[in-house]
Amino acid sequence: MGINQGIPIWIALWLIAFPGLSAAQAIVQFYPSEASQVYFQSETDDPEPAPEKIEESSTQVAAANPEPQGPEESTDQAESEELEVGISDPFEPLNRISFQFNDKLYFWLLKPVAVGYKAVVSQEYRVCFRNFFENLIAPVRVVNCALQGKFKGAGNETARFFINTTLGFFGFFDQGKDKFNIDQCDEDFGQTLGFWGMKPVFYLEWPVLGSSSLRDTIGFVGDMALDFRTYLTRPIFAIVRPFELENEVSLRIGQYEDLKEAAIDPYVAKRDAYHQYRNNKIME
Amino acid sequence: MNRNFLFPMVSAFLLILGTGVPSMAGEPTEQIKQTTDKILSILADPNLKNPARAEERKQSVRRTIDGRFDWEELARRSLAQYWAQRTPDEKEEFIQLYRELLARTYLNKVQDYSGETVRYEGESIEGNYATVKVRILTSKNTEIPVDYRVMKKGSNWLVYDISIEGVSLVNNYRSQFNSILQKSTYQELVKKLKDKSLTEKP
Repeated sequence: MGINQGIPIWIALWLIAFPGLSAAQAIVQFYPSEASQVYFQSETDDPEPAPEKIEESSTQVAAANPEPQGPEESTDQAESEELEVGISDPFEPLNRISFQFNDKLYFWLLKPVAVGYKAVVSQEYRVCFRNFFENLIAPVRVVNCALQGKFKGAGNETARFFINTTLGFFGFFDQGKDKFNIDQCDEDFGQTLGFWGMKPVFYLEWPVLGSSSLRDTIGFVGDMALDFRTYLTRPIFAIVRPFELENEVSLRIGQYEDLKEAAIDPYVAKRDAYHQYRNNKIME
Repeated sequence: MNRNFLFPMVSAFLLILGTGVPSMAGEPTEQIKQTTDKILSILADPNLKNPARAEERKQSVRRTIDGRFDWEELARRSLAQYWAQRTPDEKEEFIQLYRELLARTYLNKVQDYSGETVRYEGESIEGNYATVKVRILTSKNTEIPVDYRVMKKGSNWLVYDISIEGVSLVNNYRSQFNSILQKSTYQELVKKLKDKSLTEKP
């Protein structure tokens, strides 16, 4: 999700039970994605250079137009089809409404609060809080690395969790990364689904939660099961999650504004950036 | 974690401003480094820090960028299938508008540069195409991977795309242009580009 925030369990369960999901599952064809193929092949073969795949999306389109091309362009058609077509967005009108809502929510509530918070709490502390929350969801990373067969990564994340919780003082300091240079394996259930072949299916923008896709929403629900905050009592949950959100916002003030400034159509810019970003996360 | 997916569009132009080139750096990396060192020196020049000379400073940076970015290539790839339908005049106009938009956004962001360290991770060259890989280390202790896609024209390696955390600039604008052109006309798109340059700070 774009900006993580807790949602009541009953909404999560509604999502699972929603009949439309089973229809979507019928649409989705499960087959090993390029990601899993590349990952497992790389044990034996030379790994395909990932940059080439993304490059193809632009060269392929350029090659399609009848103008004479300058330099010779490769005709290798990697997995750029999906990137070129972009993410399907059948609910665009609804998503745009959510987008507007999120836009106002950011400027009228989230940002002012974050600015105030930022004025009082220095960046070092806020980075520590971020480390703390990132450490808490280590189980999500461990399990999903394992689910993708990345056992070394799962081991790394486990080690990092223990080191950060102890030496890193309950996770406030990411000693695992800073001192021990442990490689990260940043995976979640949405990426796991993508790794094993599930396409995003379609784009969704949730109010408050932000950008997502059908696949990543299912992933989000799955991740919640491994997130111990889900099991907190309501009052504590109601304090912890907003705090985490505002902390994160305070560290990212300016990013959304810049996206809007650079874009001709901010909604599409955000949607596409999300799609490309998630695709890249699955590939790595 | 998805927290940084907005960041790509934010710092879409943050050229490599730093040191630390690997000893095996090839031509593409060297050339990119040249450009960014130049920009860095312009920004650091105490003579140009005077607000009265802000315009001159900006123009200086713009000229430097112009030498490294292949605007026509960027424009062509971003318009994709709609490029062929344009007349030569329209193409020229579009290249200028697009360049205006990107350069302005870049200039605004580059003012915020505050000494982020940058690591050159290497490059891969295939014929006339190359990718220069970089990692930017922010003050918040996060690492941003950036790929510069360059192509050789003459003896120059020119940038035709930038990917940050896997988000390609060309692809992103292409989605936007495509979305607009599917629903309205090319003239509408040009109007939007022009309006943008009017409302944004220069």
